[in-house]
Amino acid sequence: MSGEIDAVYVYDEQNAPLVEHVYRSRPPSASAILPLYLAHAAPRPSLLYIASASPPVTVFSTVESNLLFLAISEVDTEPLLALEFLHRVVDVLEEFVGAPLLSTKISANYDVVAQLLNEMCDGGTVCNTEPNALQEVVEVPGWVDKLLGGIGVPGSSTPALGSTNPLKQSLAAASASQGPAIPWRRPGVRHTSNELYVDIIESLSVTMAPSGRLLSALASGTIAFTAKISGVPDLLLSLSTPGGQHAFGRKIELPVFHPCVRLAKWKEKPGELSFIPPDGRFILAGYEVDLLPIDPDLDEPPSHMEKLFLPAIVDIRKSLGTSGSEFEVRLTLNTNFPGQSASSRPGVGRNGSGTSTPSFLGGGGSGSNAPVLEEVVVSVPISKSVRHITDMQASRGDAQFTHSTGLLEWRIPTGKDAGSVSGTATLRCSVSGYPSADDDFDDSLEDADEDANATLLQGYYEAPTSYIDSSVSTTKKTRSSDPSKRKKKKKKDKEKSSKKSSRSTALKPEDVDDSGAVTATTPSPDHSKPATPTPKPQPSPQLHANSSALPTFFDPSSTSRPARRTKAQINASLMPNSASVSFSVRGWLPSGIKVDSLNIDQRRSRGLGESVKPYKGVKYLCVSKRGVERRC
Amino acid sequence: MLETARELTLEAAQSAAINRSSKSDYSSRTYSAAHVKKLLDSRHEREVLDGMRRVISLMYHSEPSLNFFSAVVKNVASANLEVKKLVYIYLVHHAEAEPDLALLSINAIQKSLTDSNPQVRAMALRTMSGIRVPVISQIVSLAIKRGCGDMSPHVRKAAALAIPKCYRLDPNTLPQLMGYLSTLLGDSQYFVVGPAVAAFLDLCPDEIDLIHKNYRSLVKKLVDMDEWGQLATLRLLTFYARKCFPRRTRMVKPSAPESFYDDENLQDDQNDGEEYEAPVMDPDLELLLRACKNLLMSRNSAVIVSVVRCFLYLAPSEYIESAIGPLVALLRSPQDMQLIALYNIVAVALRTPKPFARYTAHFLVHANDPPHIWRLKLEVLTILFPHCGRHWKGVIIGELEHFSKGTDPDLVRESVRAIGRCAQGDTSTSGMCLRILLGQISSLDGNLVSESLTVIRHLIQQDPASHKNTVLQLVKHLGSTTHPDARATIIWLVGEFAGVDPENNIAPDVLRVLIKGFADETEMVKQQVVLLGAKVYLHHLLQNPPKEQPEQTESSTEPEKSAPQQDFQNEWNDNGTGGSPDADQPHEEGHTPKANAREAKEGEEEEEKEEEDRITLLWRYILLLARYDTSYDLRDRARLYKSLLETPSSTQLANLLLLAPKPVPHAPSPSETRKDLLIGSATLVVGTDAGYHGLRGYTTLPDWVELGHEPDSSLRVEDVKPDTSATQASLTAGARLDKALKEHQSTVAPVRNRNGVPMAADPAGKKTLDQWLQEESEEETETESETDSEGETDSEEESGSEEESDEDEEDDDESEEETDSESEAVQKESTQLLG
Repeated sequence: MSGEIDAVYVYDEQNAPLVEHVYRSRPPSASAILPLYLAHAAPRPSLLYIASASPPVTVFSTVESNLLFLAISEVDTEPLLALEFLHRVVDVLEEFVGAPLLSTKISANYDVVAQLLNEMCDGGTVCNTEPNALQEVVEVPGWVDKLLGGIGVPGSSTPALGSTNPLKQSLAAASASQGPAIPWRRPGVRHTSNELYVDIIESLSVTMAPSGRLLSALASGTIAFTAKISGVPDLLLSLSTPGGQHAFGRKIELPVFHPCVRLAKWKEKPGELSFIPPDGRFILAGYEVDLLPIDPDLDEPPSHMEKLFLPAIVDIRKSLGTSGSEFEVRLTLNTNFPGQSASSRPGVGRNGSGTSTPSFLGGGGSGSNAPVLEEVVVSVPISKSVRHITDMQASRGDAQFTHSTGLLEWRIPTGKDAGSVSGTATLRCSVSGYPSADDDFDDSLEDADEDANATLLQGYYEAPTSYIDSSVSTTKKTRSSDPSKRKKKKKKDKEKSSKKSSRSTALKPEDVDDSGAVTATTPSPDHSKPATPTPKPQPSPQLHANSSALPTFFDPSSTSRPARRTKAQINASLMPNSASVSFSVRGWLPSGIKVDSLNIDQRRSRGLGESVKPYKGVKYLCVSKRGVERRC
Repeated sequence: MLETARELTLEAAQSAAINRSSKSDYSSRTYSAAHVKKLLDSRHEREVLDGMRRVISLMYHSEPSLNFFSAVVKNVASANLEVKKLVYIYLVHHAEAEPDLALLSINAIQKSLTDSNPQVRAMALRTMSGIRVPVISQIVSLAIKRGCGDMSPHVRKAAALAIPKCYRLDPNTLPQLMGYLSTLLGDSQYFVVGPAVAAFLDLCPDEIDLIHKNYRSLVKKLVDMDEWGQLATLRLLTFYARKCFPRRTRMVKPSAPESFYDDENLQDDQNDGEEYEAPVMDPDLELLLRACKNLLMSRNSAVIVSVVRCFLYLAPSEYIESAIGPLVALLRSPQDMQLIALYNIVAVALRTPKPFARYTAHFLVHANDPPHIWRLKLEVLTILFPHCGRHWKGVIIGELEHFSKGTDPDLVRESVRAIGRCAQGDTSTSGMCLRILLGQISSLDGNLVSESLTVIRHLIQQDPASHKNTVLQLVKHLGSTTHPDARATIIWLVGEFAGVDPENNIAPDVLRVLIKGFADETEMVKQQVVLLGAKVYLHHLLQNPPKEQPEQTESSTEPEKSAPQQDFQNEWNDNGTGGSPDADQPHEEGHTPKANAREAKEGEEEEEKEEEDRITLLWRYILLLARYDTSYDLRDRARLYKSLLETPSSTQLANLLLLAPKPVPHAPSPSETRKDLLIGSATLVVGTDAGYHGLRGYTTLPDWVELGHEPDSSLRVEDVKPDTSATQASLTAGARLDKALKEHQSTVAPVRNRNGVPMAADPAGKKTLDQWLQEESEEETETESETDSEGETDSEEESGSEEESDEDEEDDDESEEETDSESEAVQKESTQLLG
């Protein structure tokens, strides 16, 4: 048994059961399973085995637009099958009852939902999830609405009136008896205005070391296609990357395709997608691009890497201020998108020329072609032990700290009234933790105390080993409130002693040049040598010294002292250790992929007049959902 | 035409009405039950449809809708397709609650089975099999049989989907159903085969005899099937391959360039000399694996994992390598699927980590990953660690170090453990890992410190010889660490190293210093101090064997109880007075053992006791301290060690007890326990919580069939079945059906024999039933083929309705004699009627 879905439950925004559809056997009811599901702590995994239910069940879950979708199974079911099914249910429901799923929409269309769920899975076996095939068998009551609304609804095969129309019935019968020629496409599609849209969406995910050096940069892309075109069209979509056609196959990695895509064609000529589309919007393909390819077997840090352009870079400096309780987030925005001077870029957005000529390659007319950077939000996860954040001073935009989520969000406006988008913005905050028992001495005293401690500690840690030395630097640097240096130095020490100086470059600071591009070249080895070279690990004779020096180490007072934490140290522990930025850019893709052409193969297409020139549109979108992440 | 126009107007009016009123207009509030009933009873289709919609809404709102049952069932014969659909949904939902009323509708549904519209036929079949009233199992079985021979693939698909449902209604129908299955598995339409395979897996996954002759066609259709069919088929074929293709190997002489890599193989094989074993793949298996390769670009993540499973368990390593990329690509999917993908990635990476190395960047933890995701990502990183180049190793370690300084205690703990696993996986970097960990024990975060120390302890134990200095470093931290776990760990380590380099050991000194603060320590630390004392003393005893002699005589001559008591008194006095000289003593520490040795030779008991043997004094002092401790556990332990070390005769025993070589701790990857679970199963994700046998329905892959026990490969040769399109076209539908039925009969018989279970119905009755049906379906299909899909002729319809009237009677009978409405009775009745 590869998949047995016993039931699908949908809960509304308040977790009240909304849809309850049982496919087989007698699983626990929707209201019975919910408390058991919710009993699990908050970020719930998508598969939960609930042994306390009767009978014991596995629960697969996904949350889509605030609705909770559960699939229940009593037997071992392939989890991905169940989850894929749930996602298809979501997609299909969106298609049939309207895009943002709302509980009111669903409850207003229960009859449609019932039919859909009934069709998609039969007796626990998932069977029919193609939206086009479902349109064949499920009628939508409001179709006249759509007709009157002027949207091109293919009338001929909608079975809304099918039963009363003998002609239609026989037609349907004829087509059905032969079986669908193309399982994903409805037969007899007719549109009054023929349109084709390609949306390429790439989601950027970049990780940067504290030094600013790039650790990884991946872009995962999705090609969404909207086909509103009559008959059975055979389309050919060609994509290209800056590197030329032969570099394409190497650049675009791990593609997945909608079943309609002819794989042989792609394999023969990467970048060419030949397919007969389903009617409506669908995901044509997915792929990913490694923007920072690094050979896994590499021993040295790569000496030269491709220049990577990032529209937004975030940096964080912490333990600032007199008591080290402040930190500063620094955001560098850059809208000098590379390759923009070349005006060969196709028209951006669908509101380009507006003519029905397939001339979208000609650069879309009046609309401005410049990519638009939007929705810039910096998120900083804040430790749970932070009570609140005060003195949030942002040079642009405004920041907000939500304690429940532990997230500091800083929104930076990029609209027209915000002036020039490019540039640097800073946000300075100061944190305060919960008062603790150790906290009761006042600051001036503490400072003195701290100094005393430090000298004492220094004495204590003045052991002739590199390990100890590194911890000395930690203690000292924490006090001197220079986290970046401290980190650097520590790394250095560590790596030096490990005699793998080659690796040290991996975490060395990188120059962020003014254009915002991060160059990932190896810095000169003596870029930032630690000021005090640390001695090599001690040879054995020092053992004697150590053992004779032991008494001082075990000064009775030594055991109790470190328990007293200084405020600076506490504040250091409250500092955030990463920041990430979210944004979206219309009209720019990190991978540089472009749609070269989209053609209809007239010889192979059927049902589309020779004279029909469908309107074509291309849209590029780059999104980064907390994707550019900086460690610190 | 006029009719249509009117419909259109009405439809428009209705949608306008919907627009005007609120969208939730179907909810019960606005319409009373009486009103809904009235709608349902209406003669206008539109009103009935409206009523049905309301009823369905009620049903989904979990409001009482059962009271409409009779009113709804009346409409089951409605000519309107939409009404019919909704009635069917209602019927399937409520049939169990009202079995008798539901049976009334069977009649009308059966009529629909012969409808000219294949969609109606398919729907009727699906509904009939969905009604959960066991008495109708035979009728359902008959309906499936008819569906299997239907012209329309949609109906055949519905028949395939109905088979498991019928089986659940009445397991006794299994032999018949298997007969239908063998027909459907050989169907030429790929979207019929998919559900048929799913039904096969549900019904009788072990009856691989049904698969042999369809194997190649299944493999061929694999690419064309829909995703769900692919999933079922991949699963079936993976199991099938294990059962039917023995692992053959043949001796191959390694070619020159390969020899470098094959050295290891040679060593393993020992006696093979120049030759090594190479797997020989069955051509049929290769067929499957090649077909699978085409699926690696599927958009369905479950398909990818299924292919990976197929490659992992069946294929040589080059196949699995090609599937790693697509598997990693699943991390692009939404978070819920990402989690499952990661579980599978971990399971695969534990077996073949190398090909994952180039995707290391995909597993970097992001700040917004929930715990269940980062846990698995960290695990993957540690698994890949030994297989990366030095650059990535540096990055991984840097990442782990970064997270170990975070604020989430779980993440800190896991990353420290991960560092430990990295060190363990690649010993060349363990020095570096150790340094990072040592750097962290001065942290203020107690959690981090104790976790780091545990990992450090593991690392030290793995290679004690080279870590003497490390222990020394740790000892220095004793002065600054207050975390009890950390202190206990360090003290334990000192104890473990107490015997190393006796001339120059710090253990006695550490002990001495610790004793001073004994009273302030936590119990855990006190225990370790006492243990350390015992070890130090034991080492002392072992190194000075002559000293044993006097002690033995002493203890043997004096009564045991009084001796220690006395000693303690003395010791206590000594220490009490000699507090200040204590501080001076350590300077001589280095010389004590030597001194002892010298003194021991002199053999003077008293001298040794009172002046030289400081360790003995120390030990006695510890015992004294422990004796008055508040913890009974500690007191007990102290007493145990005391009596163990008191008599020289038990010194050897103490040696075994206290100084036994400790097993080297090995921290396995957390998912190591799941390694053997089947990729892609839910049990793999649930893990040990699912119990020993996994979740219900979980089956492990069978072992490879032994050579010589496999079914003959000639079984897989496709006979001249209507599989190729040429023969298919030349045959008439009727002839094809004849053939299918003949095959069906021939397969049904052996199935029954193999099961060894006699059928409930007598074979004679069964046979006649088959014959009767065969005749009937021949008629039917002949007429169908004549009219060429433009609806059936009247004569055919008549025959259909005749049949239904037969069954009508049967139904009526049933409803009359409700008391014995058991399936057997029905069966008998039907055989009587039909025979």
